[in-house]
Amino acid sequence: MTDNLPSLVLRDLEGVVGEQWVFSDPDRLLVYEADAQTAHSARPQAVVLPCTTEQVAGVAQVLHKHAIPLVPRGAGTGLSGGALALRGGVVVGTSRMTRILEIDPENRRALVQCGVLNSELNRAASPHGLYYAPDPSSQSACTIGGNVAENSGGPHCLKYGVTSRYVTGLRVVLPDGRITWLGGQGREPATFDLVGLFVGSEGCFGLATEVEVALLPLPEATRTLLAIFETIEDAGRAVTAIISKGLLPAALEIVDHNTIRAVEASIFAAGYPTDAGAALVVEFDGVEAGLDQHAEEAVRCCAAAGAREVRRANSERERMALWKGRKKAFGAMGRLAPDLLVQDATVPRTRLPAVLARISEIARRYNLQVANVFHAGDGNLHPNLVFDRRDPEETRRVEQASAEIMMVCVEAGGTITGEHGVGVDKRKYMHLVFSPIEMEVLRGVKKAFDPLGLCNPGKVLPDASEAP
Amino acid sequence: MTTPIRSLLRDLVAPGALLPEAASASWAVEGRAPAAVLAPSSEEEVGRILERASQEGWKVLPAGFGKWLAGGGPVKADLVVSTQRICELTEYEPADLTFTAGAGLSLSALAEVTGAHGQWLPLDPPGGEEGSLGAAMATGAAGSLRQWFGTPRDHALGLTLVSGDGRVLRWGGRVVKNVAGFDVTRLCIGSWGTLGVITSVSSRLFPLPQEDLTLVLGGSTASSLLPQARAMALSSLPLAAIELLAPAGGVQGDPGGPAELVVRVLGSTEEVDAMEQRAVRDLGGGRAGGLSRLDRNPVPPSTLSSSHGSSRGSGAGTIRLLRGEASRAFHRQRDSWEEGADLVLRLTALPSLLGTVLRIAEEAASVWKGLPAREPPRMRFSSHVGAGIVRVAVAGIPMDGGGLGEWIETLRGLRGRMEEMGGSLTLSKGPAALVLEVGTWGGGEDDVALMVGLKQQFDPRGILAPGRLVG
Repeated sequence: MTDNLPSLVLRDLEGVVGEQWVFSDPDRLLVYEADAQTAHSARPQAVVLPCTTEQVAGVAQVLHKHAIPLVPRGAGTGLSGGALALRGGVVVGTSRMTRILEIDPENRRALVQCGVLNSELNRAASPHGLYYAPDPSSQSACTIGGNVAENSGGPHCLKYGVTSRYVTGLRVVLPDGRITWLGGQGREPATFDLVGLFVGSEGCFGLATEVEVALLPLPEATRTLLAIFETIEDAGRAVTAIISKGLLPAALEIVDHNTIRAVEASIFAAGYPTDAGAALVVEFDGVEAGLDQHAEEAVRCCAAAGAREVRRANSERERMALWKGRKKAFGAMGRLAPDLLVQDATVPRTRLPAVLARISEIARRYNLQVANVFHAGDGNLHPNLVFDRRDPEETRRVEQASAEIMMVCVEAGGTITGEHGVGVDKRKYMHLVFSPIEMEVLRGVKKAFDPLGLCNPGKVLPDASEAP
Repeated sequence: MTTPIRSLLRDLVAPGALLPEAASASWAVEGRAPAAVLAPSSEEEVGRILERASQEGWKVLPAGFGKWLAGGGPVKADLVVSTQRICELTEYEPADLTFTAGAGLSLSALAEVTGAHGQWLPLDPPGGEEGSLGAAMATGAAGSLRQWFGTPRDHALGLTLVSGDGRVLRWGGRVVKNVAGFDVTRLCIGSWGTLGVITSVSSRLFPLPQEDLTLVLGGSTASSLLPQARAMALSSLPLAAIELLAPAGGVQGDPGGPAELVVRVLGSTEEVDAMEQRAVRDLGGGRAGGLSRLDRNPVPPSTLSSSHGSSRGSGAGTIRLLRGEASRAFHRQRDSWEEGADLVLRLTALPSLLGTVLRIAEEAASVWKGLPAREPPRMRFSSHVGAGIVRVAVAGIPMDGGGLGEWIETLRGLRGRMEEMGGSLTLSKGPAALVLEVGTWGGGEDDVALMVGLKQQFDPRGILAPGRLVG
């Protein structure tokens, strides 16, 4: 699939964006071969870096004319292989589309180009006392356009919801190069929610070049707790108790024993006790009044569930320290083994203890080490498997264990991905959650945007010919 | 052709699913009774009906309890398919804060069950809680609580949709984070029955707040309350609702007269007390005269009347405080009369343009006062301040005939002005002759080509709610 593009096509692309922003020599294409899900790789035929909506439209027109696949790519932090040129074609990178077009505090909205980093948007909003709520762990590196494509979550979506709640308008380049606005001007859709449908479409419908988002006032105060438990089951019981009390924390995050050990052995050591079974981060935010009361109730829930220790942050610095073990978990796991399969699935919150037990049983059976990090309040699990890709036998065990974990999550009433997306990685599990008829409708929905199937082909949906 | 349809349907559905012929009249849209009204009891039965209807070319209007049949614009339907008998709460695990229920479950019945577990679905759509869950989802309807809690699109986790050709399709699930496949759930919400019949819904729930407090600030006109309304919209407090109502006092009449700004605060006792103090300060801060007096004693439960407030003094500048049941009752009754209105408009624009929107709506209202009418028009404006939505309800307008002409003209003019400022005018309800002329949705910027392509996937024979949206 790495045949060179016809020089005619390259010339047309250069005509749209300028010669220096089109490249096709193998060395420069290397970084576009994979995203943060390194199990998959595919080299594009060329990479184009436009800087305006009109340039993206021009690029799309050229590719459409020659029936060449267009693969949108943000910062490449995705965890499902969504930005790979799986069937050849041209990667359209958004790294030059980094302008914040408007911060509108009067209406608590912002309009940004798709390549703006999540953290940059927050930096621009904060002088106005506002922020953009979705906070994926990669927020210092990932783009808003990528967040739109993946409908990204983050630790705080327990209280605040995911990306689709905050996107109010999209300027979109469709696969045939047509430019259209979906929503915008802060409006709630009165008819079909095309914005809501586009969010989470993983680059299969077109490329959103400009994104209008709703901003929230920064919470006035926060209370952060770190509870240490002997077992992960105890931590799970504490979560259930907190929710049952009618409390709605901004975040409820658990890291397990293996994760704690990995973090503490790394440069990210956060002072979590390495003999602990699990650590639970609980955060409340809102107006100052009442926060202490919420925190007290949460402490009591943790104690009743058997917490051996509950730490509290009394300053922003201490808050960051308590979060550190959670936020740096993935980075730390990187040192456990050459490769890490970051998994992602969601189950009903009450099924967490049972599902975690099944996962550790599966890992034992396949003789693998699993390290769990999860958004406990949302039931969103990240059971991560460490392995060495150079060992084909171990790699096969990882694959089989992953498939079993997915089945366990679906059987428990859950789903195959909570926030990382399907991409190429989870196409094989789509039949677990969609019937053949539903899959056919999903293909039809894609067709409404992309009749020729040129936009990010080979992602999300298994081909009709692929039997499950 | 009435008899053939009914006899064909009799063979297709279980006894009881086909309502007696006499019932059809009460399901009339535009004065035209459908040939049959069906109330199937399962999604499979809905599927059989729609499959057959697709084959025969029967036009179908999906419905819940039939309270707002004309809501999405006039539809010429042979059949009405009501989900009122698909009303079971099929899954409710309080510790998950989620539920799954048949579309025909009423919001009030849902509230009763979840309330017993200290939980609620914070959704207060126009038409009140006697409406069905399915209708709220199909119309994407939200009320004042959208300020903090959002709309049905933000609550729903998944749904079952029976497509126009009878396929039973399940979208989403019952977990709160789910990005498997495209978000068809969101597409279906607010699609007004044009993509299929929603037969069941899974949704989030929230803990019921310990305290429920409503602050009501009176003013001489809606415009006079704008500074305070904007101050509330820009407040960093997590307010549950910010509404500007004209006229004041839960009545309909002259929207240019005395008005009230309504702020609702939900949370723990400590939170609500703190927010109350700050909201009172911020509401008073924008006024030259300040507050006349505040009485902060709790109020016993009472029905909505002029005497249920806990403040003293009268007219502009007074803040009334309604607590607990009094607060809830105020909001339950606030919009209930919209159901009896002849004309309901929804104006939207950026929230900062609220003053302009109110001004042109008031101008339109003063024109309407002089137009031909059955009785002197009575009106009411209710604004969702933070969302930039103004709902305008009018009673007394002519239902047909020559008198409508000038109404049609002014509505077109009003829509033009809204669209000029990047906003929109949706005609939620009105006499059929008027809605056909003015159109329900307006031009807007919705991508019609995409909508047509999507409709085709779900309703290939185009039998659902013909005339609505892109049907």
